[in-house]
Amino acid sequence: MNPSNSLGGDINPQQNPYLPLTGPPDNSQAQAQQQPAIPPHLKHQPTRSSNLKRQITDQLLAPIDILEYDRPSKKSKYPGLVSEGMDKRHPSSFQQLEKLGEGTYATVFKGRNRQTGELVALKEIHLDSEEGTPSTAIREISLMKELKHENIVSLHDVIHTENKLMLVFEYMDKDLKKYMDSRNSGGQLDYVTIKSFMHQLLQGIAFCHDNRVLHRDLKPQNLLINNKGQLKLADFGLARAFGIPVNTFSNEVVTLWYRAPDVLLGSRTYNTSIDIWSAGCIMAEMYTGRPLFPGTTNEDQLQKIFRIMGTPSERSWPGISQFPEYKSNFHVYATQDLRMFLPQIDQVGLDLISRMLQLRPEMRIGALEALGHLWFRDLGTLRAQQAQAQAQQQQFGGMGGMPPPGGYGYNSSMV
Amino acid sequence: MAPEPDVTSLSNPLATVEQLSTSSSQLDGVPPDLENSLRFAGAQLTQAAGILLRLPQDIIAQAIVIFYRFYVGSEGGSFRINALKDVSAASLYMTAKISFVPQSTRSVLNVYAYLTSSTSPLRQPSETSAKPNPESYYLSEGSYQSARATLLQTESILLRALSFITQVTLPHHLALTYLQTLGVLPPTPTVKSTALAARTLAYLNTGLFSPQLLYLTHQPSALAVAAIYLAAREVGVRLTSAEWWEVFDVDREELGFLVVGLGSCEGWIKGEKGRWLGKSCPLTLEELETEL
Repeated sequence: MNPSNSLGGDINPQQNPYLPLTGPPDNSQAQAQQQPAIPPHLKHQPTRSSNLKRQITDQLLAPIDILEYDRPSKKSKYPGLVSEGMDKRHPSSFQQLEKLGEGTYATVFKGRNRQTGELVALKEIHLDSEEGTPSTAIREISLMKELKHENIVSLHDVIHTENKLMLVFEYMDKDLKKYMDSRNSGGQLDYVTIKSFMHQLLQGIAFCHDNRVLHRDLKPQNLLINNKGQLKLADFGLARAFGIPVNTFSNEVVTLWYRAPDVLLGSRTYNTSIDIWSAGCIMAEMYTGRPLFPGTTNEDQLQKIFRIMGTPSERSWPGISQFPEYKSNFHVYATQDLRMFLPQIDQVGLDLISRMLQLRPEMRIGALEALGHLWFRDLGTLRAQQAQAQAQQQQFGGMGGMPPPGGYGYNSSMV
Repeated sequence: MAPEPDVTSLSNPLATVEQLSTSSSQLDGVPPDLENSLRFAGAQLTQAAGILLRLPQDIIAQAIVIFYRFYVGSEGGSFRINALKDVSAASLYMTAKISFVPQSTRSVLNVYAYLTSSTSPLRQPSETSAKPNPESYYLSEGSYQSARATLLQTESILLRALSFITQVTLPHHLALTYLQTLGVLPPTPTVKSTALAARTLAYLNTGLFSPQLLYLTHQPSALAVAAIYLAAREVGVRLTSAEWWEVFDVDREELGFLVVGLGSCEGWIKGEKGRWLGKSCPLTLEELETEL
């Protein structure tokens, strides 16, 4: 029944030795109190001149800062629709440095705040003369304003000019893809780094899901890394909020390689589990340096997944034949042992990844549950050891050409 | 593994007392009663355009709330600067764009050209309904280009005014969930339970036109509870005698206020229709200037 049985014969889903039996996982981060964003209003001088229309379109800035309005009633837990003063920042407040990359709908530059010297990432979005502000930008901004978490890249400001929109994000050194490529190891990462990144990735995902946001496009290019070894989720252009009841969604989500099988099969009622599938794919990629399922088309992608995970049938996945993209003549593959593709992985890590890479969405582990998995239990110790080793290396003049993968002791709250 | 429901995700940002006490439009010399009429005309225009575009009601309702949010408070937009027809169009276009039923600028502008034309049904009382004259609402390529520029520019102004907070939580889904919780929406619908659900949603949709801006002053849970209360009384469904609204975090005082607020909408809308009988509420800047 449960595909994970065929992956590791010794794993019993009912009595799993790796999952804590009692006590909630450490999710203090994910549950950290979050202030909902409040829409401040357009600040315009209520002058009575009608050429004001001209003025307000010229150069204004939507303030990001949040002002909690304390309604003198017991309902003050709700946010207010509050006006507030506006930060008169404009594009020239930032010195534009080199180009960092082309996003899906924007160009990203490195920038420096002229006043504070702080480095930032400037995401420049050109307003389409046909369609106006891209829907991806509207979604990204409105969601990012609410999602304040240390594992989600933070949006400092939005600068709105006549023909472009500039999002000012905190600066991160590189994305996970480039980070992996920069290691002289064929893209493979070391054990501690993988564990630390997975933990941070899952914390970011758990926070999104807790706030009813699906990222929908998790991939190494959208995970940003800084020199402190922190990992943060970025690019919420495809993300969307989900409410009750869940509307049917477009299935044009998630880069093919990280796309969950239920989405590939044409499901439009997917949920948080699609982000977990992507996280599982990313975990495998950190071990091997190569994508686990590098498909070229929708069909090829499904085939690549089935070749390793086994072709599902109505017996292993009741209802599968109802999916729009289901074909009764799928090539039937037997389930392979994931260990064959991830020779470096330990038994506990294998259990975690196989819980994330479940074909059936309802069988996939949730982000919070994954954070409580036994695999993460020694993360604190490992980070401390690594920090110590690095300190020693520096003390004894170790000038190893390779930059340290990050100061893992830095972020104690992540453990 | 459903995430824990979070109260804030089922709530909306509300207008403050200061924002309700004055507005940009009033500072610009629009009398409060005319302002109410303009808001109503804008909501009606948005609703009509949404229907013509065959948009689902939840998208239309969100667009109406966005439209109201834009004009609220002294820091908000002014009817004398941003024409209500432009803001209505931008609200609807933007709301549809980020939903799963995006609309082309051409469709939106065609519909608005029709609805604001001299022979539009919104311009004349339905009794006299003369056949609309196609020439009055034909949108030539040139007019389309300039209308599109205005639409997109208004969208920018709107987004900035809202500071990109585009989420609107509606009470409709909540109301249905509450009805189920109250045990008056059986799995196999009866004539009465269907009527109850329909009237509940009708009260919520009518409430969108309230001059009291109920969607900007009350949380979805309170609106849902009040609509259920009114609908149950009207259809004759007995709800549990206990103070069931407390369960949904609504107190008697707020419920009482909303019951009056939602209940009085119909009368107010009729009054509005009477007020503009034989003429049209100003939809454009020029018309508003003439009116003033």
